[in-house]
Amino acid sequence: MIRSIIKRDGRVVLYEQGKIAAAILRSMEASHSGDAMDAARVADHVQRDLEARFTDQAPNIEAIQDTVEQQLMNHGFNDAAKAYILYRANRTRAREANTGLMRTIDEITNIDARISDMKRDNANIDGNTAMGSMLQIGAAGAKAYNEMYLLRPEHAKAYREGDIHIHDFDFYSLTTTCCQIDILKLFHGGFSTGHGYLREPQSIQSYAALAAIAIQSNQNDQHGGQSIPNFDYGMAEGVAKTYRKAFNRRLRDATEDLIGSDDEAEAVSALIKGVENELGETARLENTKAFTDALAAALVESYNISQADAQRLVSRAQKRAWAKTDRDTKQAMEGFVHNLNTMHSRAGAQTPFSSINYGTDVSPEGRMVIRNILLALDAGLGHGETCIFPIHIFKVKEGVNYNEADPNYDLFRLSCKVSARRLFPNYTFLDAPFNLQYYVPGRPETEVATMGCRTRVMGNVFDPTREISFSRGNLSFTSINLPRLAIESQGDEKLFYEKLQGMLELVAQQLLDRFEIQASKHIYNYPFLMGQGVWLDSDHLSIHDDLREVLKHGTLSIGFIGLAETLTALYGQHHGQSEDIQAKGKEILGFMRKFCDDKSQELKMNFSLLGTPAEGLSGRFIRMDQKRYGKIKGVTDREYYTNSFHIPVWYPISAYDKIRLEAPYHALCNAGHISYVELDGDTARNVEAFESIVRCMHDFGIGYGSINHPVDRDPICGYVGIIGDVCPRCGRHEGEMIPQEKIDELKRMYPEMPAFQGIE
Amino acid sequence: MTVKSNNEKMGQGVGFERIRRITGYLVGTMDKWNDAKRAEERDRVKHSLQKQ
Repeated sequence: MIRSIIKRDGRVVLYEQGKIAAAILRSMEASHSGDAMDAARVADHVQRDLEARFTDQAPNIEAIQDTVEQQLMNHGFNDAAKAYILYRANRTRAREANTGLMRTIDEITNIDARISDMKRDNANIDGNTAMGSMLQIGAAGAKAYNEMYLLRPEHAKAYREGDIHIHDFDFYSLTTTCCQIDILKLFHGGFSTGHGYLREPQSIQSYAALAAIAIQSNQNDQHGGQSIPNFDYGMAEGVAKTYRKAFNRRLRDATEDLIGSDDEAEAVSALIKGVENELGETARLENTKAFTDALAAALVESYNISQADAQRLVSRAQKRAWAKTDRDTKQAMEGFVHNLNTMHSRAGAQTPFSSINYGTDVSPEGRMVIRNILLALDAGLGHGETCIFPIHIFKVKEGVNYNEADPNYDLFRLSCKVSARRLFPNYTFLDAPFNLQYYVPGRPETEVATMGCRTRVMGNVFDPTREISFSRGNLSFTSINLPRLAIESQGDEKLFYEKLQGMLELVAQQLLDRFEIQASKHIYNYPFLMGQGVWLDSDHLSIHDDLREVLKHGTLSIGFIGLAETLTALYGQHHGQSEDIQAKGKEILGFMRKFCDDKSQELKMNFSLLGTPAEGLSGRFIRMDQKRYGKIKGVTDREYYTNSFHIPVWYPISAYDKIRLEAPYHALCNAGHISYVELDGDTARNVEAFESIVRCMHDFGIGYGSINHPVDRDPICGYVGIIGDVCPRCGRHEGEMIPQEKIDELKRMYPEMPAFQGIE
Repeated sequence: MTVKSNNEKMGQGVGFERIRRITGYLVGTMDKWNDAKRAEERDRVKHSLQKQ
């Protein structure tokens, strides 16, 4: 006689046959076989079997469940047995997920981020702060739920076991990745942040302040970064407004001084307006001679002053207004950079991940913006620190800023000088064939812009009339563990491609499943991104529409990591070592790109191939693969897989060859790509050498690139540059003290040296 | 980071900041990098400028 049973946690509870019968009935119903009578009969047999085997002790849950399975099969209820097994497996998964979740939360709560690798998964979240920890606990809970309830079992398995990585998995059911914010469209007519309505800005200071707010607001609606694709064109309008006001003011002051009046504001303003209307030209940074002459003539007529006086009034007002506007623009740009480095998003755990693109606006106003944002970047923050945000992206274009005769060539040169000191800007190349094909002069939205990490959106299969960078972005991306496919193929190329095809299908399906969740949302789920019309066509949606159609402007991206290790596993060498292997590398990525293109055509959606910006992922796959396959030389013998299609970071190669070899992959990875060149500090400080590398990238057809070099800073004396063991300015070692007299002496030599506050 | 300072000397325990690019963006100190990315940063070699 069975009286009690032992539960999983060791507790002993009363045996209830009814519970067993009910579980059996559920399995029968799930498999459409058997009824309550059958269930009772099988439950009887289960009890008899248990009584026979457990004479002097209570059975445990596992033994009971094994018996139920066995008896279901004995009675010919094979389908019900299968349903019961599936139910058990699911319960086990849920239990393990719960235990895992609690363990994760325990680690987030109790372990210092300096020790916990998990808490440093994203270098932009401070896992030691209260809000950072709350964010991580929320993410852990969401991940556990998403895996249990939202993923198909085959996707959950592939994700869990490291065949694929589903990025931003904590946001799986919530939102999309990123967007290029068309700042002009947003500003025209004003906008609402959800916490208040902001009128259309009227000066460069408010343009810059509101641009930061736009980035912050949109960051709260998406899980990825935020970018402004037209920073120069956008801010130029603010510069124009500031200038026009300043010119009005300066001309009025000068006129009042000359004629000895205090009340010419309206008259002068009307005078300027009259000329503006007559010539169809507003007062702006560089007015035509016709405008200046007409204005002078109007002054002569109104105030009965000499032609020479009138000319002098106009030109002095122009000069002073220019200087005032330049000062305001500089302050606005400094304020913008400070804002983006200090403002908080996501409950204060992160500064918004922000990018700005500029370089191609050749108007005097646009040029003023570009010059001043570069100068602000060069100046650094309050203590001279290098700005972490925003990511600056300089758009390089022949005929605009690439050649010496181009109107913005001076700004391109300046950008090289600044980047050689501050690591930004990065460079995006509009002349690369895969970018040039979209470029229409005079239409900035056709200029490729990048989300600073590397994401790029241009082509549009869903709506081929909208092949633009503005108001679009990535919806979600999932990366393939490419080296594992190669290891498992054991040198069999054909097998590798079969496995790759299967994995691409799996990822495409998973992206589509995620799209279904995203597509069912409404504008009120994204009050800024959709509610303010930031996303393409979202301004045509009503409150009842789901987002399906407008989201199709975005991309579903299939990423990868470790082309170098993949090639080594398959062919014994990576693409930096042999031209033949380079051809094989292009074949693999060509195959993946073709899959994306075919899928796009089939579904009229934008599937694209991504050289994944793997941060957390760089270690995740290889740790799993080391456990599975051990340390394979050149494949799994380091702590990270090589990023995307890069030549391995440890492989000695010239900058020229690295750029030449990586460029063809930029053309294939239409969802995003980046190439780095590592320079030593002295070479980087040589602007000619720096520029020559940017030019080399341009000429080889790189899409997006940047140059890395050491940027160190001593917080004590404020030195920025390369610091080896000893600071070249104050002579201290890391952690060492220096006497106050020494600091005072340095302060006399370097007046801009910041006062060290004690805590940074 | 907190710093002890007395009237005569300062800087005890204050390290140098080393800014590096991680996956397209910059990170102010490497304390927050994960282990794999730290290893990768350590392994990076400089690229020479001569053409081959």
